[in-house]
Amino acid sequence: MLIKKDQMVLIVAALLFGVAIYTVFVYAPTELVMGPIQKIFYFHLSSALVAFLSFFTAFVSGILYLIRKDLKWDVIGVASVEIGLVFTTLVLITGVLWGRPVWNTWWTWDPRLTTSLILWFIYASYFILRSSVERQDTRAVFCAVLAIVGFVDVPIVFLSARLWRTIHPVVIRAGSIDMAPEMVTTLLVSLGTFTLLWALLLYQRTRTLTLACRVQNFERQLDGEVL
Amino acid sequence: MSGFWLILQKDLYAEFRRPESVIGMVFFGFLLLVILNLAIPLGSEISPETGAGILWVTITVSSILGLSRTMSRERENRCMDGLLLSPVSVEALFAAKMAVNVVLVLLAECSIIPLFFILYGDGFFTSLPMLVLVVVLANVGFAAIGTLFSAITAGTSRNEALLPLLFYPLVIPLISITVKVTSMIFQGAAVADYSSWLYVMIAYGCIFTGLGFLLLDHVVGE
Amino acid sequence: MSDFLTVKNLFKEYEGYRALRGVTFGLAKGDFLSLFGPNGAGKSTLLGIISTLVSPTSGQIEIKGFDLTEEPEQFKKQLGVISHHSLLYDHMTALENLVFYASLYKLKDPEKTAVELLRVVELYPRRHSRVGQFSRGMRQRLSVARALVNDPSLLLLDEPYSGLDQDAAAMLTEQLAELKSKERTVIVVTHNLDHGLNSATKVGILAAGRLVFMEARNRVDRALLEAEYLRHVQGDGEA
Repeated sequence: MLIKKDQMVLIVAALLFGVAIYTVFVYAPTELVMGPIQKIFYFHLSSALVAFLSFFTAFVSGILYLIRKDLKWDVIGVASVEIGLVFTTLVLITGVLWGRPVWNTWWTWDPRLTTSLILWFIYASYFILRSSVERQDTRAVFCAVLAIVGFVDVPIVFLSARLWRTIHPVVIRAGSIDMAPEMVTTLLVSLGTFTLLWALLLYQRTRTLTLACRVQNFERQLDGEVL
Repeated sequence: MSGFWLILQKDLYAEFRRPESVIGMVFFGFLLLVILNLAIPLGSEISPETGAGILWVTITVSSILGLSRTMSRERENRCMDGLLLSPVSVEALFAAKMAVNVVLVLLAECSIIPLFFILYGDGFFTSLPMLVLVVVLANVGFAAIGTLFSAITAGTSRNEALLPLLFYPLVIPLISITVKVTSMIFQGAAVADYSSWLYVMIAYGCIFTGLGFLLLDHVVGE
Repeated sequence: MSDFLTVKNLFKEYEGYRALRGVTFGLAKGDFLSLFGPNGAGKSTLLGIISTLVSPTSGQIEIKGFDLTEEPEQFKKQLGVISHHSLLYDHMTALENLVFYASLYKLKDPEKTAVELLRVVELYPRRHSRVGQFSRGMRQRLSVARALVNDPSLLLLDEPYSGLDQDAAAMLTEQLAELKSKERTVIVVTHNLDHGLNSATKVGILAAGRLVFMEARNRVDRALLEAEYLRHVQGDGEA
């Protein structure tokens, strides 16, 4: 039986996910103060890592597009921002779910959550911009510029997020300071799994978008010949 | 005279002859100051933080009217093509447009800030030089991002309606720092207490002005 | 002799569509090229690239030996462009517009140049009126003056006759004839054979991104040109 390479990666990723879920719920000990809700932390942090990787990729492909003017980099950029936005949404959702039982509030203006929220806005506006430009090359330039400026903004966003009013004195340090060795292992498994998932999603999404782009161009050429 | 001065002069002269940007910003700012008053409970004093927040929400929201105009001004009759055809460098164009933005927003602020003190109490008025410094630093940051992104939105189908959607997410950090510093000035805090934030504001201005210089060429080149 | 303007192997691709597929030609000083072609043949793209507003995917252009990518500033100083957009500021007066553009080219006496040009296009009495109040014909005349502020050695015109009334069209023809007598090199892009042939010294046909026909004006008559046009542009009735 022949299995293609990307299908194999998919199977590996699926298996790894099983392992990750097992380590999170069975292998890792339950946190004493927060209880089982703390388990959301592993996927919360992993999502944040994937989001960051995605935005960094979008930044780099933005620069490469402006230098090379090759639409390939635009496609990788869009794919990255799409994935990054999805995982930032996951960060926000898991953050909210975590905060509700622990701090007794849905939302807290914690610097990291606030940063994620602002990033969510920046990269969501990327798609609004995308939908407002018709021409492929112009759109690619505009989006590359936004991806570059947006990523440069990230450290400043994080720095300034400390200034937002924190209605709760609790800071998300719990878990990351005194972690049992099993927790560290679990976290590493989650991070590894999510990174693989990220690579897989980026590859698939880039391929799909490239094909969609080619189909569109063929259609245009056909139209052009009819003219 | 260099291209920078010519474009700056042309735009300021146009504004002087028909001050639509400045009047728009001041009118909208005044309106916002009145509307935001709704958020304050009757008869209560507002804290310096709230005051600073009201002031900067007013300024940033109203300044978008001016920022979106600077580049779309060149859109009618494709005047932008005329500038690009001339030997003027794109860097000079960016610098001129950014300077126009700084000046116009500053002019609007000259009316909005006194109005703020009149409506919300002059108890906040402590240090004029520091207030001017913060206002100028904030303007540079807003103008850098505003100029680059108004060039982008001028090239899209939604034009000016798109600018706020792209602009505000990117300037949120600058707004929050500016509000913080302003509230400390309103409290009469020592400069040393917030000087590190002033450096962050300077860095913000430098970084995004630099990015504007680097990137505008790509944006208008299409 | 075609050492004034050289265009070599120009390609332009966008959206997977090849707007220009290897355009090569040269013009001598004083040549007046009329370029015909149906919509979508790449005329505007070609003019856009020569005018520096559109960047080519590949290829090379030189004016008087100044390369477009290597010496853009020197290249731009040689150019004058008239398009269907006026490139004029409506809120400024005719004089202010010309002085502004003349200053951008760092002329010694922008005011004097502007006044001279206003006399040439017969708008001097209206020099202090805002362009916004001008009629279409007057704007067109002013945009001709705008294109001439830097005394360009190469003038590019994109469908200059579109939307003009008869008087304005006659005036434009007159001005083009005048330019020809001053040894300016001119490229006019149009799909109207009558207007294009008036003062041309060379004629070319652009079809599907290629320069399919290029000949000296005195070796072609209208009938031949029409036949060539129809041969390359099958089924297109715009000629």
